[in-house]
Amino acid sequence: MTTVAMPNVGSALDRVDALEKVTGRARYAYENFPADLAYAVPVQATIAKGEISAVDVDAVLQLPGVIAAIWHANAPRLAPRNGDPELAVLQSSRVAYRGQYVAVVVAETLESASEAARVLRVRYDADEHDVELRPGHPGLYRPDHVNPYFPTDTEQGDPDAALAAARVVVDATYSTPAEHNNPMEPHATVAVWDAEGLTVYDSTQGASNIRDTLAPLFGLPPGSVRVISPHVGGGFGAKARAHPHVALAALAAKQVGRPVKLAVTRQQMFAVTGYRTPTIQRVRLGADADGRLTAIVHEAIEQSSTVSEFAEQTAVPTRMMYAAPNRRTTHRLVRLDVPTPSWMRAPGEAPGMYALESAMDELAIACRIDPIELRIRNEPDVDPESGRPFSSRNLVACLREGARRFGWAGRDPEPGIRREGGLLVGTGVAASVFPVYRMPSQATARAEPDGGFTVRIAAADIGTGARTVLTQIAADALDAPMDRVRVEIGDSALPPAWVAGGSAGTASWGTAVVRACEALMDVLHGRAGDVPPEGLEASADTTQEVRAQRRFAQHAFGAQFAEVAVDMDTGEARVRRLLGVFAAGRILNPKTARSQLIGGMTMGLSMALLEESVMDQEFGDYLNHDFAQYHIAASADVRDIDAVWIEEDDPGLNPMGSKGIGEIGIVGTAAAIANAVHHATGVRVRDLPIRLDKLVHGVI
Amino acid sequence: MDFLRPLTWDEALAYKAGRPEATPIQGGTDVMVEINLDKGRPAALLDLNPISELTGWSAEGRTVRVGAGVTYSRLIGELGSLLPGLAQAARTVGSPQIRNRGTVAGNLGAASPAGDSHPPLLASGAVVEAESARGRRMIPIGEFYTGVKRNALAPDELIRAVHVPAATGPQYFSKIGTRNAMVIAVCSFAIALHPGERRIGTGIGSAAPTPRRAVAAEEFLAGELDWDGRSALDPGVARRFGELVAEAASPIDDVRGRADYRLHSLSVMARRALGWAWKDYAGRGSA
Ligand SMILES: Cc1cc2nc3c(=O)[nH]c(=O)nc-3n(C[C@H](O)[C@H](O)[C@H](O)COP(=O)(O)OP(=O)(O)OC[C@H]3O[C@@H](n4cnc5c(N)ncnc54)[C@H](O)[C@@H]3O)c2cc1C
Repeated sequence: MTTVAMPNVGSALDRVDALEKVTGRARYAYENFPADLAYAVPVQATIAKGEISAVDVDAVLQLPGVIAAIWHANAPRLAPRNGDPELAVLQSSRVAYRGQYVAVVVAETLESASEAARVLRVRYDADEHDVELRPGHPGLYRPDHVNPYFPTDTEQGDPDAALAAARVVVDATYSTPAEHNNPMEPHATVAVWDAEGLTVYDSTQGASNIRDTLAPLFGLPPGSVRVISPHVGGGFGAKARAHPHVALAALAAKQVGRPVKLAVTRQQMFAVTGYRTPTIQRVRLGADADGRLTAIVHEAIEQSSTVSEFAEQTAVPTRMMYAAPNRRTTHRLVRLDVPTPSWMRAPGEAPGMYALESAMDELAIACRIDPIELRIRNEPDVDPESGRPFSSRNLVACLREGARRFGWAGRDPEPGIRREGGLLVGTGVAASVFPVYRMPSQATARAEPDGGFTVRIAAADIGTGARTVLTQIAADALDAPMDRVRVEIGDSALPPAWVAGGSAGTASWGTAVVRACEALMDVLHGRAGDVPPEGLEASADTTQEVRAQRRFAQHAFGAQFAEVAVDMDTGEARVRRLLGVFAAGRILNPKTARSQLIGGMTMGLSMALLEESVMDQEFGDYLNHDFAQYHIAASADVRDIDAVWIEEDDPGLNPMGSKGIGEIGIVGTAAAIANAVHHATGVRVRDLPIRLDKLVHGVI
Repeated sequence: MDFLRPLTWDEALAYKAGRPEATPIQGGTDVMVEINLDKGRPAALLDLNPISELTGWSAEGRTVRVGAGVTYSRLIGELGSLLPGLAQAARTVGSPQIRNRGTVAGNLGAASPAGDSHPPLLASGAVVEAESARGRRMIPIGEFYTGVKRNALAPDELIRAVHVPAATGPQYFSKIGTRNAMVIAVCSFAIALHPGERRIGTGIGSAAPTPRRAVAAEEFLAGELDWDGRSALDPGVARRFGELVAEAASPIDDVRGRADYRLHSLSVMARRALGWAWKDYAGRGSA
């Protein structure tokens, strides 16, 4: 594959929809008001396990404005078949977790619906629940595969013997808490039924995907469902699949025969829109005296709900990061009475690389080797497990460039010795990685009679700048100026496309856009540029191209550097500097790319120091379920952050030469910060987040 | 829900006398959050914002009378030198948006043990001016906090102003939070030196059911300090002071922090705040 010369691609262009957004004209899902609209407010289970015995529907139907109160005894039946069991809303009397939808009230106004939902009496027969992920849980089992389709366990050589024989061994257990995605815009759905079928205004990362999920659930052909989602206020994975509220809105609208709006509140989101599973990870590294790895073992345990299995790929990055002849990775899952976890920015990589990269730091100290040098020494020539060559692997270049920019040279590795007044100061480094994916998508390109072009694809711009970048890609492929090209996205009526997920959006959509534009250019050349009054259209489907892709090992890499200052008396840790250096193919728009990368790094800072969904063992509830208690880094916490990249020319990727950048920014950040905290204080925190009290108990 | 909008103070008192269950709303940064979170629905809101008299402050002798409508932003901008402890605390509240709306009177009305105004008000010896149609009451701050989120106001009373003695010596406020902004105190501490009376004022936040003073610590320290000579602080005295402050607290474990952490950090903050305050005092003397 060759990449094409591109004048717009690579330029730091402003967002094409910026004006629409800042002037409030961009319409988000909640802002649709079809005629005759009614409001749905869900009722959530107040027990963590048991059966619903009765719902006093009649009482709320007497309240003013109430149209319907629906629970499993009077709900229309859905056909979830092989689909996600979480979407079988109100189909059973079983309660599988606290916060699960048990009923929904529909009323003329949001206020009436909220009031009715509040007073609706639901009676339960509660069972004992178990909501605690713990090592040695009797329910631990080996899932068939881990997300999305990786083998659960892998093993090469004899890791146990190699560990027993190793000169230096690191054996440590790390844990990460449940974390919630918390995009700025909470989920919202407006569902409208008419003679043709179902139309859904939704806040989603993938309109085609939601359509393909909803259609069978309601026994419709996909063509009878339309999902409209032109603007999305963030997702971080929480909007990549249909969550129960989407099914609930459509079900309620069907039942009352009117359009229905359902907005998920911030508090409700903690139970019903997915989250990152907590993990407990044991990492064992064996090395010779020079720090050359002889064994790598990474064993992860995680949770899922009793409704559905979501097995995160926590240890998967460990399969390809470093060379070692003897290796093992395993994943074990326990099904608890908790909400179902799902994707959250860099599922697998974010928690897994915190553990691996913390362990590498511990090994560097044990071997008395600089942590950058340690990583360079263990750089593999080919993908250690598959033996496939890397299409490009520039981790070492990122580490070296980062070291130069950050001022790493001459760093004294001794922990706990740099004082500035009452503060202890330290620096840390960690590697970062994210796989390259590309998925089949379709697109059309039209030449309009006025000389302009329209490109259509059901892509999603969840705040990343995708609409802008696709316009750049199309303009270059059409050899046209940006302002003559209009890209339409966010609607399942457009050619079907992969979700904004797996950092694969731009690669997947961009390929389809380039191919459609190329096809159109061929047609145009054939007609010597003549465009008939009805316009000219060409389309592309990248299924064949993506399937035929040569099987390289393909990943984006990065190096994260952090400087922290810790108040030794109070345990307050603050990040003074964060630098990320990335190698992610060609950067298509430096402005939006930088936002993605520093956004990911900020989320990594937040993961390191703040984010933690606290499970209330007694009630089975994430108890800090609002922004007053679930803390995310504020602007004032991000003092000095920078993301840069090194040039990478990898023609084996896609026509743009790009790798995904939406997730890699969060990977490794927490480890870099934890490593810096250790360098500053001598306290190794193996249990995120690095709370004040953990450091104080380490220091005093 | 009724929305009552008095235009004058007397009208407000009359409304409150007639509907003692009405919830006063000033900045609304607590009231609106509670309504949003559906924690109790007030039968009526009594909007104090139209009463312009409340937004003023005046220095009356050695005391500053801060109207119930004075926002944190104005306190920071206008009262930093007269009431440095309270202004420092105000700087740590929420975010610019919250400081533009929120008030000390609202903080008192909410009476959260974590409210940032409380420690400096305790350390300064403030007095709450409460009024109802029945008349006016001056409530010393030490008697104002009666329980978790409870205060001494009668159902028909409103806060009209807070009287805070102008600083006669150094004052410091210290707060520990998990992040740099938008954060409720894990715990907090205020100190005020009152050199004229050779007295120390303290206030502890977020480490007991109510904000409270550390009386034993105050008395111990007042007797140990070299008020006249202004000689350097004895580290042993500072340490003991910190211990006594921690002893005055009775914290709990919660999502924001563990009880033992709170005790530890309280003694740290007390020691530090004293260090800063004494440095100022001693520095001023020798200058
Ligand atoms: C995002 C956010 C961040 C915050 N951060 C902080 C923080 O860092 N530190 C902190 O201390 N607080 C914080 N708060 C809480 C709040 O801002 C403060 O308590 C503030 O002082 C409340 O003032 P207000 O004028 O907005 O009060 P309101 O919300 O109007 O009222 C609060 C209470 O006082 C009563 N009340 C108001 N005026 C009177 C009166 N004149 N007489 C009698 N009762 C009255 C009300 O009925 C109510 O019970 C935060 C709030 C938010 C939303």
